[in-house]
Amino acid sequence: MKTLYTKELKRSRKSFFIWTAIVLGFTVMVLSLYPFMEGMGDDLSNMMRNIPDELRKAMGMDEQTWGSILGFYSTYFGIYIVLLTGIYTMSTGATILSKEEKEKTAEFLLTRPISRNSIFSTKIISLFSLTLGIIILQVVVAAISFSVAAETALDWGNFATMHIHGAVLIIFFTALGVLLSMFLNPKTNFMGLVFGIIFGSYFLNAMSKATEATEWMGYISPFNYADFNVGDPNYSLSILGVITLLVLAVVAVLFARYRYERRDVDD
Amino acid sequence: MGEVILETKNLTKYYGKSKGIENVNLEIKRGEVFGFIGPNGSGKSTFIRTVLGLILPTKGNAQLFGVDALKKGSQVREKIGYVPSEINYYSGMNAEELLRYSASFYKNVDLKKIDKLAEHFELNLKKDIEDLSFGNKRKVALIQSVLHNPELLILDEPTGGLDPLMQNRFFELLREEHDEGTAIFFSSHILSEIQRICQRAAIIKNGEIVKEENIQDLMKKQMKNCRLVFKEKPENLKLPKNAQDENWVDNKLSFEYVGPVSDLMQWIAEQDLLDVTIEEPTLENIFMNYYER
Repeated sequence: MKTLYTKELKRSRKSFFIWTAIVLGFTVMVLSLYPFMEGMGDDLSNMMRNIPDELRKAMGMDEQTWGSILGFYSTYFGIYIVLLTGIYTMSTGATILSKEEKEKTAEFLLTRPISRNSIFSTKIISLFSLTLGIIILQVVVAAISFSVAAETALDWGNFATMHIHGAVLIIFFTALGVLLSMFLNPKTNFMGLVFGIIFGSYFLNAMSKATEATEWMGYISPFNYADFNVGDPNYSLSILGVITLLVLAVVAVLFARYRYERRDVDD
Repeated sequence: MGEVILETKNLTKYYGKSKGIENVNLEIKRGEVFGFIGPNGSGKSTFIRTVLGLILPTKGNAQLFGVDALKKGSQVREKIGYVPSEINYYSGMNAEELLRYSASFYKNVDLKKIDKLAEHFELNLKKDIEDLSFGNKRKVALIQSVLHNPELLILDEPTGGLDPLMQNRFFELLREEHDEGTAIFFSSHILSEIQRICQRAAIIKNGEIVKEENIQDLMKKQMKNCRLVFKEKPENLKLPKNAQDENWVDNKLSFEYVGPVSDLMQWIAEQDLLDVTIEEPTLENIFMNYYER
């Protein structure tokens, strides 16, 4: 198992470094932009007031959101950083098992003295090592950037809550990727599907917040269970949302394992 | 010999409505060399892949070293070496790295065999896997299949891509492994290979076993190729019972005979002949005999 785990991390290192560099670069860029935005003063407040109410709600913002560095960061975190990280981890989840079949190396692996259950477990452990790796690095770089950029005291509680919501959402998408790969042809181009699911569920959630008539859409979007609007005075950890997403992630992985153990690995 | 190490009972695999194999019953004993003969698409690889747990059977079961191959196969794969018909390995590794990676899954590994067998097969271990020719990839597969001193070697069309010299070296390796007690399951459509090394063989046709017997018995009991030269072509000649595929060219008659040899000899003795030739059939003849039925 150790051999397979090491090999898996080695195989994934290139894409991990590329995606991590993108996410970390984006984090630093967003936080380095804030001093310029802050300098705009009343112009920024007017701009926020001019954004239609429905659009502001859809983006999880209010007039005060950009009044603090954490609020400013939360907008980009919820839209870009979670989406980018989710795309990377979900596509890795979708290919971590199926690539063995696509590249026709599954026969080699499955004829070694190692059970399918062990292969699945080892691959999932390496997948979540990569997932947690990119999440932790992003949080650390964000925290360091805040320490450097923030001139006023930062609400570290809200900072942590927002990142926990993001991490849980990313973990859910990762597990969903694994599950999807067990139902689709290994030769499928998963990237298009991953983009569709992540952006689709993001926009469903955004539309659900815009008006009451579209509120129902939120229930079928995982983004509904992870709030990033730190400007909300009642902002707190959504225990129900976190548990819901984690339970769904565990169910997805267990169901994927069930499928993997009963799957024909054929040419 | 004696202990059964591979046994299948009514092993069946359907891909939707399409038949892969049906009711395959086979027994391979410790130390024996068993041939599995059939043309491409007859179900040879499906049988092997089902036994190895790569695909799940629709019906029936397989036992390897006394355990359920489908549920607990990973427990006994330590004792099995496998060479697939299509060789696909991880890119970004050279041959030696791949062999060491494969060996890392096993406990009873003899790494000294890597250099010894690379020399035997004239394989450059430092060459990247993706740069190796089909034949050289086959050599890597053959080496990795014996590194852990398996008790059963499962070979699926193992000589593809090897030149005649390397084929000879491959058969030398098989004989060495067999001398050390390794049982060999040799699947091939090349009959001379089966004839060369196997003690017993099964013929598979459209996913079903049509014959299973000792190679010598298969060749002796089943059929004789007879060629007779008459002094004059006789009129209204009655051929012996069980003669088939009669062919006349002038006063020369050839036919295939399946039946008691004494009956054949008695019939020949009654003819007015210039010459007679009775040949053992090749495995090819026997094979075609089953396939044309």
